[in-house]
Amino acid sequence: MDGKASRRSFLAAGLAAPAAGLARRTMDVAYGVGAAAPVSYRTLGRTGLKVSAVGFGCMITSDASVIERAAEAGINYFDTARGYQGGNNERMVGAALKSRRKQVYISTKTHGASKQAALADLETSLRELGTDYVDVWYLHGIGNPSQLTDEALEAQQTAKQQGKARFVGLSTHSNQAEVIQAAIRTGKIDVVLAAYNFTLFKTLEPALEAAAKAGLGVIAMKTMAGGFRKARPGTDLHARLSRQGAMLAALKWVLRNPNVHTTVPSMTDMDQLEENLKAMREPFSEADQQILAEHLRHIGPLYCRGCNRCLDQCPQGLPIPDMLRCLMYAEGYGEFALGRERFLELPPQAARVRCRDCAACAVRCPNGVRVAERLIRAQELFV
Amino acid sequence: MAARMLAALGLLSAALPAAAQKPDCSLVPGWTQHGPARSFEPDNLFEYMDGNAEGYLLYRFVRMQGVTCRSGGDTVVFDVSEMADPEWAYGMFTANRDPNSPTEPIGMGGQILPRKATFAKDRFYVEFSAEPEKDHRAALRAFALAMEKRIAGRSRPPETLGWFSPEGLKPDSVRLVPESVLGLRLLQRGYVAEYEFGKAFLVAESSPEAAAGVMAKLRARFTGSQAVAVAEEAFRASDRYLGGLCFFRKGRYIGGFANLKEGEDAAGAAARLAARIP
Repeated sequence: MDGKASRRSFLAAGLAAPAAGLARRTMDVAYGVGAAAPVSYRTLGRTGLKVSAVGFGCMITSDASVIERAAEAGINYFDTARGYQGGNNERMVGAALKSRRKQVYISTKTHGASKQAALADLETSLRELGTDYVDVWYLHGIGNPSQLTDEALEAQQTAKQQGKARFVGLSTHSNQAEVIQAAIRTGKIDVVLAAYNFTLFKTLEPALEAAAKAGLGVIAMKTMAGGFRKARPGTDLHARLSRQGAMLAALKWVLRNPNVHTTVPSMTDMDQLEENLKAMREPFSEADQQILAEHLRHIGPLYCRGCNRCLDQCPQGLPIPDMLRCLMYAEGYGEFALGRERFLELPPQAARVRCRDCAACAVRCPNGVRVAERLIRAQELFV
Repeated sequence: MAARMLAALGLLSAALPAAAQKPDCSLVPGWTQHGPARSFEPDNLFEYMDGNAEGYLLYRFVRMQGVTCRSGGDTVVFDVSEMADPEWAYGMFTANRDPNSPTEPIGMGGQILPRKATFAKDRFYVEFSAEPEKDHRAALRAFALAMEKRIAGRSRPPETLGWFSPEGLKPDSVRLVPESVLGLRLLQRGYVAEYEFGKAFLVAESSPEAAAGVMAKLRARFTGSQAVAVAEEAFRASDRYLGGLCFFRKGRYIGGFANLKEGEDAAGAAARLAARIP
């Protein structure tokens, strides 16, 4: 396999050189209230809201003091959802921002499947947040254009007409490019909130650019690539990712893209907040590039991205993504039993075929995963 | 060889899905399963919980099994999440319960609301949510009680809860914070309780020495702190966001109060908490 070549091109496209169309734009820079760190602001598409380039994802925050400190430092975009912490998250966000409601923007989301359910959710959100409007109200977790129903869009328009939502949007974590294009086509969605980071960009950047060009506000979440949180203490991955600067580098990488108007990294403590604030005053550097490249070097050959482009490549008919997923359970998460359990549920060829017996592997992973090596490892471990 | 075989058997038994913990619509007469059973692990939970998976991962989520049950025009979504240990399952429950509604002694703790029921027992966090909009409490209670009987293991809440003095404690306010207690990274994981006059916390470190190390760092962080005589070591300070505070160490535990209302005796409150730690 030519894993190195694939990996090099992957890195070159995403890290070593700015992606096409990422020309740097002038950004407003202001000083946050009572803070030494400058906070930069960008315009959230046609909403016209001037949002801090680093916003605040409140989902896993457990202490209101961190949110208060962020607002005081100049961060002015706070993201929550009806479903976070069983509704407790909205309550905490509302309490933390109560005294400065007019100086900040609050967004929340609904999973409501019908117009009635969505609007009922909004009423609950407003009550829990202690406000009579939200700045952006999202349809939560849209993974398919078919979920953008007339009823859902109608609920959003009703909320706008009633003054309960200033602007409306959707959040998406999967099938993102297609969903974003569909959002543009509706002409009714003001903001898109998408998972965007240094491991997820090839297919997404054209869609983000199209959204920004169409006047939509674009907000990035999962900016730290999720895997940072999944790394368990005591593992090599955790040690590598905990190295000072890795999280900051990932956030700065996202902020390079002028089509991203703000970001909503999760924050649980003051240290994280201070670090994230730095992303607005420090440019993405050579050192950041090296940190992220090192992380990609680590995950690139090991972790399947689930693109399924290898599915029909194996002449023995091996279910490659599934086998690699089992291996990830065992090695990535330390869940050997779970990995083996899932492996034994796969079609019989997964256990019967021995990749070592093939003279050469026909599978070429576009993301640089060393497929043959990883499959041999899975067979050694589970069979 | 024998040891290896035993280890393998152990791994296999851990891998086998325990039937008792599987959600089952037939637990309540008149309900039947609609559609296939669901199963999710940490790396694909987002496919089900799109946008909320991280809230589970934070509490050391291991796997989830779920079914959708129907009876007439009513639907109950029934999910059982396995967490790493009972404390995490209980923590998940505390993070998601409605503080404005009463809890019930179902497993380690439970709550029945008109359209939602949750409880934690042993290392399992069980959730039910009902459609359409109406009061489903009778059905949800029947499901919760039947499922609670099926799950073996711990049904006592963590002992730590009893260490918070009941005087002035807001009902059902004690919760497990999975990381950065009080928004301080140094306090990695612990319990927080809301009082009428402030916020109490308790964090367990691995050893008294480790706790002493954390205390030293905390003292350095809060400039202008003053030593006070509580437990083995303590200090009080004032912080822009955490207000009046007093932190102490007793053995491997670090505890204290923050956001104390003006005029409250920080050291006195901390001493009362310290005295309840065995």
